[in-house]
Amino acid sequence: MNELGKEQRLEKYDLAHATVREILTEMKDISEIMVDLAYASIMFDSQEIADEVQNMEVDMEELSKNIRIKAMLSARTHKDANKLSSLLEVAAASRRISNAAGDIVKLMKCEVDKRPFLTVILREAEEKIKRLVLSEGSDMVGRTIEELSVESETGMRIIALKRGKRWFYNLEEGTRLKAADTLIVRGTDDGYDTLKVYANGEEKWPVYPDEEGEE
Amino acid sequence: MDQLEDMLLELKDTSELMIDLAYSSLLYNNKDIAEEVVLMEEMLDELANDIQRQAIARAGQDHDEGKAFAIIKLAMAVEEISDAAMQIAMVTINDDEPHPVIRLSIKDADTIITLAEVKECSDLVGRTLGSMRLASQSGMWVVAIKRGRKYLYGPEKDAKLEVGDVVISRGPPDAEKYFQDLCLGEERLEEP
Repeated sequence: MNELGKEQRLEKYDLAHATVREILTEMKDISEIMVDLAYASIMFDSQEIADEVQNMEVDMEELSKNIRIKAMLSARTHKDANKLSSLLEVAAASRRISNAAGDIVKLMKCEVDKRPFLTVILREAEEKIKRLVLSEGSDMVGRTIEELSVESETGMRIIALKRGKRWFYNLEEGTRLKAADTLIVRGTDDGYDTLKVYANGEEKWPVYPDEEGEE
Repeated sequence: MDQLEDMLLELKDTSELMIDLAYSSLLYNNKDIAEEVVLMEEMLDELANDIQRQAIARAGQDHDEGKAFAIIKLAMAVEEISDAAMQIAMVTINDDEPHPVIRLSIKDADTIITLAEVKECSDLVGRTLGSMRLASQSGMWVVAIKRGRKYLYGPEKDAKLEVGDVVISRGPPDAEKYFQDLCLGEERLEEP
């Protein structure tokens, strides 16, 4: 999706109709995924991921401007304005996080041999960023991220997916997984080990008694 | 890892914890948690300064200014994240009651924050977070534990849960119910 222009990328937020509440939620979500992606770009030495972080930074600017205008228009009284100013403070903080993520990806400009320490650090972090490939025998193949509830099942959050040469970020819940997809995930070591067993097709994805009817 | 790498790792992990805590403070209008974020920010300020000083000192020794530059840039970016966390926490501190829309927005996010009290009949009682693999089992990551009037922020794997603990955690919306039921003793822990 990185080949989309800014206008096209912003379409999905429907800024003309989005409420202050919806924009604030988007800003929180995007800022957090940007930090994960920024670290991932350095870890896997991926300029594509770094470019996406920079695109998101541009989008955040637009969301940030939009939420300010909407908040101003909605203030009727001094009290309103006062409360809305705190809300804008939270929006500004998420924008700040996105700028920090943008600064992290600028490290891609440093020569690779100057930043090996980054990979070392990220490997030791409490929650790690790792990658895995879906094998053909995995029963995750053909199912959507929503059906699988990957994060609640394993504690691993999928932050990006690579299919062939193409990257997908900010995955929609309806995204269907395919064999040979590369997943960039964030979470604990044992969460990764659990997910890897399913991704390799060594074990069946768990099905609970109350869900069996749906299967 | 050498000392400088350890310091950078602490900076990174703490900055992320601070973001979770800052949103928690807003969601529950909890000024204690917000104050903790402010303290952490002061600590990270110092830590970031130390990292930069050490990176410069090291560049003087091994003449690798490229590496020092990368370390300093990273430390500055991560410190910016902790500043953003403080900015959020300050809203909790300064407002009597944050704008209701803020709370609704946080609740709608892809990653939510939830809290539950550990009941006597819960499988979690007397177990450490690591031994239960709570994060991978439940999908929820514990950011703080309130025990009596005290808080344990960013608990380590060896932190043990007790009856009456209030556990604040972060994760996907569809993991919230299972996590709460685990704490309440209405769901059993799946043992590996």
